[in-house]
Amino acid sequence: MKQLSFAQAKQFLLEAAKQKAASIEVFASQNSRTSVQAFQGEVSEFKMSKRMGIGVRALVKGAWGYSYTENLSEPALMRCLDNALENAHLVAPEQFAVLAAHPEPPHIGDLYGEGLSGVTVDRKVAAALELERAAREADPRVVSVAYMSYSDGESEVAIANTEGLDRSYKTNSAFQYVAPLVQENGQSKMGFHVQFSREFESLDPTQTAIEAVRKSIRRLAAKMPKTGKYPVVIENHCMAMLLATYSNIFSAKMVQENKSPLAGKLGTSIGSSLVQLHDDATRPAGMESRPFDDEGYPSQHIQLIENGVLKTFLHNTETAAKDGLKSTGHATRFGYRGTIGIYPSNFYLEAGKQTKAALLEEIGTGLLLTEVHGTHAGVNAITGEFSLQADGFWVEDGNVGHALENFTVAGNFLEMLHNIEAIADDLEFSPMVGGTGAPSVRVKELAIGGT
Amino acid sequence: MLEQNMVSEVLQIARAGGAEFTDLFVEDRVNSQLHLLNGAVKDANGGNDFGAGIRALYGTKVIYAFTNDVSRDGLKSIAEAVARAGGFAGVVDSSGAGGLDFRVATPRKLYKVEQHPLESQRLEKLALAKRAAAAAKVGHVKTVDVRYFDWVQKVLIANSDGLWVEDERVYSRLAVNAIAEDGSHRANGGFNPGAGMGLEFFAGDAPEQAGIEAARIANAMLYAGFSPSGTIPVVIGNAFGGVIFHEACGHILETTAIEKNASVFADKIGQKIAHESLSAVDDGTIPGAWGSINVDDEGMASERTVLIENGVLKNYMVDKVGEMKTGYARTGSGRKQDYTYAPASRMRSTFITEGPETPESLLKQVKFGLYAKSMGGGSVTPGTGDYNFTVNEGYIVRDGEICEPVRGAALVGNGARDLMNIVGVAADLAQGQGMCGSVSGSIPTDVGQPHILISEITVGGRA
Repeated sequence: MKQLSFAQAKQFLLEAAKQKAASIEVFASQNSRTSVQAFQGEVSEFKMSKRMGIGVRALVKGAWGYSYTENLSEPALMRCLDNALENAHLVAPEQFAVLAAHPEPPHIGDLYGEGLSGVTVDRKVAAALELERAAREADPRVVSVAYMSYSDGESEVAIANTEGLDRSYKTNSAFQYVAPLVQENGQSKMGFHVQFSREFESLDPTQTAIEAVRKSIRRLAAKMPKTGKYPVVIENHCMAMLLATYSNIFSAKMVQENKSPLAGKLGTSIGSSLVQLHDDATRPAGMESRPFDDEGYPSQHIQLIENGVLKTFLHNTETAAKDGLKSTGHATRFGYRGTIGIYPSNFYLEAGKQTKAALLEEIGTGLLLTEVHGTHAGVNAITGEFSLQADGFWVEDGNVGHALENFTVAGNFLEMLHNIEAIADDLEFSPMVGGTGAPSVRVKELAIGGT
Repeated sequence: MLEQNMVSEVLQIARAGGAEFTDLFVEDRVNSQLHLLNGAVKDANGGNDFGAGIRALYGTKVIYAFTNDVSRDGLKSIAEAVARAGGFAGVVDSSGAGGLDFRVATPRKLYKVEQHPLESQRLEKLALAKRAAAAAKVGHVKTVDVRYFDWVQKVLIANSDGLWVEDERVYSRLAVNAIAEDGSHRANGGFNPGAGMGLEFFAGDAPEQAGIEAARIANAMLYAGFSPSGTIPVVIGNAFGGVIFHEACGHILETTAIEKNASVFADKIGQKIAHESLSAVDDGTIPGAWGSINVDDEGMASERTVLIENGVLKNYMVDKVGEMKTGYARTGSGRKQDYTYAPASRMRSTFITEGPETPESLLKQVKFGLYAKSMGGGSVTPGTGDYNFTVNEGYIVRDGEICEPVRGAALVGNGARDLMNIVGVAADLAQGQGMCGSVSGSIPTDVGQPHILISEITVGGRA
């Protein structure tokens, strides 16, 4: 069956909807990617792809129905439209469900640099080989570079609706990731490092490899900590991981569905007065930057927490209308296969003025927490509680001492926000957690489970 | 799904770069899902995933390309791309002229679907989800989320050795999450039963049972205090409790980890790696099971693979590339999420087999410890075997008796070491269903076990 192009399919659906007098939104995306993995000096996997599809969201008597297809033949597109209309009949109507031609999006920096278009496959392969080689040869304690990849791609998102909205944008990105396995005295450890860029030339495989090896080796000679409550410095990337994990509690959808512990807390203090929390989808070079969200609403910079006070939740048009507000531009649907939800974009905790070393000095004796694992299971976003496997270091007299292993850190995210006593100046965005950023923070105490 | 001459031509083009082996994976999948909040439908979605991938092996180097354009031109263009990517452009295929003579293999059907999701009405599916939601509204439960899923994945796998297999995989699942509330107390409970079956999986009162179980956990944990921390004995419940073996051990018995020397169990076949009371199996042949497959994503019939017998390591889980790299025979374990991934060695239904004890006799051996009655998910660092997982429903055990409930416990440990610490196994084997994420995407797997006793493990809590 003849496959329509991306643009033809969009047009076909809008016209078919017009003939049926149906209100619909078409969300189309396509992306192409290349990825290379290497092992012991040779390419082990080379992958390239092109994926596209179309999602239809139909509004029938106040109810949304969804359907999607990756088969872009005319009969498949018609089936997709009909399925969306039929699905809408099952769904409970929402008073505030509307389709609209939203305001013009802002012009934000170049999300589609020239930096990848001219790069040959050979250079990408060479980058992957260098990343693997540099990690393998960086230190005799590296026994294997089991997990690494270079990958890049470009994608295009187009949104149109029967109210006349029709807009699109393109982005590109390149990542390199390496996780060397190191061994010493019978102990194995594996850390990793990731770099993200929109420009091939700004990736530095050798530097990324050396950093990954450093992060692996510093975890050797680890001991179990003693169970107890300790003051803790949470390193920037680890704090970003915790923030990203709990970002959902700021979603107005979760609040309205009574699933967020922040329900009813708007305008009240939910953290220490040092806490300034932002989301900025317009941030230049941000990993999650975009001119508009997944229903076409313009992007903006918002501050969620100001001096510890909760100022706003993240909204899409429907949750905003329910609260008598305007959308904050956070409708997110994870591609054409998903349904509209709410997620942050470039979500970050503002940097403070102190150095990380000063924070460590202030705790005297305690822990430096560098990583948490299993956040998909070990956190409860409904209560704010967490209990997670962690990596870190013992801190004695403000100095970072031996590595710690096989322990847990437990607390409650909301209590932790109140217990932030100092914030460092080392804000970094973490490509591992969708562009969330944080500086290192000092927390009064957290429960550590060890021996 | 496709015509043999065309597939033959495409596989030959893909080999033109000098690849020793090529295969084509075509997928046509129809998904259906519903999301209910407190009984009202919030989202109804569904759709058609449709695409194909071509893999070429140059030695053990894997080249993989995929597209949504499953026309002759679309497939030819990815075939040419994998040939070019081999780096030997211009090499003439040495296997000779002429098309491939496909042997059409008819997969052995492990299970016959009775009520096919594609022949069932949306309203019928909705009714099942509503029954689960209604059943969960007991005690202090204020909020109930129910998700209904089914999908039908049609696949064609053809390769340059002349194999041609077509199969259809059917999955159905309900996921219930209940939130109990009383004043400032909040707790949630989840239960997510699924099967490689049609809607017959929900026969009888299965939807109600799912709702009741989720609500039971939420109500049981509502007033629970914090879990203690420290290294103590733990009795882990059956069924989804098997997630400990999955994380601690399963992932590092996949050749994906073994072949990269990223497993503490590399070169340990025939050696004692666990306490002698422990035997474990990865079985892809249980009829209608969530983790079962008639054939794997490389077209091989799935098998029942004994991993550990009385503490001794017997087999790894092996895919085609894993066999080439390690020399161990394939076990029908080549799996992947969909056409966007190349296959890798993965688990199916992985479980600890039954032992002589009972849950009560295991608890009796504990003076002070934790009973982890129902488990949440977890993760493992493959190179080191360090793992973690979450206890959704836990109780303190004192002098062999189950006492007060505790919340927020995490179990952390190391696969190699903790296998030696599984010192008692009961006889109440059951399976639980999960989605397992790894190098080749997210796939349905069962985790299973009878009740087990771990002599000591690190428990993380707040008390």
